[in-house]
Amino acid sequence: MNEIGEFALLMALVTALYGIVGYVMAIRQNRVDLYFSADRTPLIVWGCVMVSSIALWKAFFTDDFSVQYVWAYSNRDLDIFYKMSSFWGGQKGSLLFWTLLLTTYMMVVHVQNRKRDLRVVPVAMVVMLVITVFFLCLLNFSTQPFEILPVPPEDGRGLNPLLQNYWMVIHPPTLYLGYVGFTVPFAFAVAALITRNLDDGWIRMTRKWSLISWFFLCMGNLFGAQWAYVELGWGGYWAWDPVENAAFMPLMIATAYLHSVMIQERKDMMKVWNMVLILLTYVMTIFGTFITRSGLIQSVHTFDEATLGYYFLAFLGVIVLFCVGLILRRLPLLKSKNELDSFLSRESSFLFNNLLLLGIAFATFWGTIFPIISEAVRGVKITVGPPFYNQVNVPIGLVLLALIGIGPVIAWRRATWSNLKKNFAKPVLAGVVCGAVLFPIVPLTDKAQVMTYIAFILCAFVMTSILLEFWKGASARKSMHHESMPISFSNLVWKNKRRYGGYIVHIGVVFIFAGIAGSQAYSVDVEKHLKMGETIHLGGYDLTLEKVIWIKSNETKERLIAQLGVVKDGVRIWTGKPEKEFYKGQNQPVSEVDLRSTLVEDLYLILADYRGEQFKQITSKMAHITDGEATIKAHVMPMVAWIWLGGWTIAFGTVIAAWPDRAEARRRLERMKRMEGVFAPAPAQQE
Amino acid sequence: MAGIKILEFILIAGVLILIGIPLFSKFPPRRLFAPLDTETEEYKHLLVRKEEVLLAIKEAELDFKIDKISPEDHDIIRHKLEDEVLQLMARIDELEKVLKNKKPASRSVDIA
Repeated sequence: MNEIGEFALLMALVTALYGIVGYVMAIRQNRVDLYFSADRTPLIVWGCVMVSSIALWKAFFTDDFSVQYVWAYSNRDLDIFYKMSSFWGGQKGSLLFWTLLLTTYMMVVHVQNRKRDLRVVPVAMVVMLVITVFFLCLLNFSTQPFEILPVPPEDGRGLNPLLQNYWMVIHPPTLYLGYVGFTVPFAFAVAALITRNLDDGWIRMTRKWSLISWFFLCMGNLFGAQWAYVELGWGGYWAWDPVENAAFMPLMIATAYLHSVMIQERKDMMKVWNMVLILLTYVMTIFGTFITRSGLIQSVHTFDEATLGYYFLAFLGVIVLFCVGLILRRLPLLKSKNELDSFLSRESSFLFNNLLLLGIAFATFWGTIFPIISEAVRGVKITVGPPFYNQVNVPIGLVLLALIGIGPVIAWRRATWSNLKKNFAKPVLAGVVCGAVLFPIVPLTDKAQVMTYIAFILCAFVMTSILLEFWKGASARKSMHHESMPISFSNLVWKNKRRYGGYIVHIGVVFIFAGIAGSQAYSVDVEKHLKMGETIHLGGYDLTLEKVIWIKSNETKERLIAQLGVVKDGVRIWTGKPEKEFYKGQNQPVSEVDLRSTLVEDLYLILADYRGEQFKQITSKMAHITDGEATIKAHVMPMVAWIWLGGWTIAFGTVIAAWPDRAEARRRLERMKRMEGVFAPAPAQQE
Repeated sequence: MAGIKILEFILIAGVLILIGIPLFSKFPPRRLFAPLDTETEEYKHLLVRKEEVLLAIKEAELDFKIDKISPEDHDIIRHKLEDEVLQLMARIDELEKVLKNKKPASRSVDIA
């Protein structure tokens, strides 16, 4: 099966190359036969990559350690769940996984659009095939997943223990679905530029793709944060690590794009800007891959054998030059005839939001590449840490948060101050009340706490502004259609899915802001050596070390578990069991945190160290340790759960916004009929 | 080993058959990739624009009902949008007349 897997990759490459040549020749020479032949290649390439992926999965599930990649990332004792995720645990497999997703997207786009615009779609296919060829070249010639070891070992090295976490099963595919998904709008944007079809057709064709890719990128970031929180054991969820930044930057630019395309759709404006944003989003996804696979930056998120930097850098360079050249050539065609009706309008607030989002993306980009530049130029590696990002991004983020509340209040096209004052009154009042209530409660001793205080006030302002939008809309609908309030509310959302789905996404963003603000400013922590029966007091909790247990889980894994009784206000509320896991062949033990999470606060326990020698054997695989002392780190972090709640709210809002719209489908059908009336008679398309 | 070679052969044969069939099929002569026709493109674009403007009128109505825009602003926006939609409709009618008399440039028009 391994040989078939390897051969299928080669076949995929050859077929993709044929597809590119076939499409281009068919377009240039108007060759129908060649077009239909090339038009089959996306499906064939997907099939070949799928065969190859199945072969690699089979090697993992059957413990075929003759395959170097399987040996390096799996072993016999590995849970089947993690054997599946080992596929993307290393460089080679993750590239194959990326290619599998890319070809799957390409296949779906092909099936979805095969009877549509015969100018844009084939060119978009060519763009996607070219990108596929790049990845297939890497898989065939540089980093082959089916490399065979001369002497097959008895057992594998095992998956990095940090990756043996359920979030790590979900996080990479989600993030990749986002990263790879932006290939679709990118390909259509490039195709629109090449074919000069520069109205908003390409935006409409890829609107759902952009939204879904954005959603996956957003969830991928959040899942990664959740993994860092529960697995890395440092008491945080975001460290402005270069690889985290690499996933964060395209998210910011894509968010700007999702807002600004609305202006193009409504007002036929900002064509250049939208082109730039979508091309930049894709460039940033490749930049993120470059960071992860170049070996330039050391991070827990980079791959061990990160050796593909030059290839990705070259690919990045080609994309940037090609896109810049193409946009410059098409600039006269991208000029807009319309302009803003009024400075005081929703469009202006979107423009401002775009600038802020790009500001955050640029600051993050600068902080990420500055150490690389300084090392290259001066030979000194300067670390840019969280203080830089917080200093720059937090104020911009707060202004952005305010804009989320201001946006819905301002009408499209034009607004007047008198109406704004009237509409702002209640949200501002909510903010003021929130500020007044919190003022005597929250400490305001440092800059972070002041920022957090402002963030809470803004959260109240934004929430009120959004909830009022729902309320006013439902009330207006109720009076217009004589419906009951719940019916009116659900019809309002259902008949304006994009608008109100978007508002729900904004509510999720407010939750995330509140969670970040609360957990960053008001966290308390302690690290203490505890003997059996000793207690730590932290944030109203009493944590008493009750026992320490050693467990041998299997031949490759041993666990050391500290049991802590947790008492609050004199009542025992929980038993915490942080642990250390020792894996055969791994030098460092891994901390498994234990967590008591509520919407108010998280109690986060880490067993940092344990020194003891007297074992009281209970079974052959279990013992109590009766002496020594444990080093316990405990954190009390308010409102972290709001971040995850925000993520699920975003997911809910995106589902509503992306749900197929019957009215839109009907309008499209009517358009089609009208156009057929104009263009008829036409011979039926046949293959 | 021989089994694998057979599988590889089947894979090659399968791919060749799939991409080869259209090359040996007969297709009626047709123009696949018509050059960009500015009038067709404009027509397609205007049909979409018309819908967008009609939706904007509805949205302005809702914004007015929920007191987001003043009566004066509502009148200005409404008049502007109505003017725009009338101009669009006139231009669409004009283009339809032109296009009906034209040879079809592209059969597979994008109606996204």
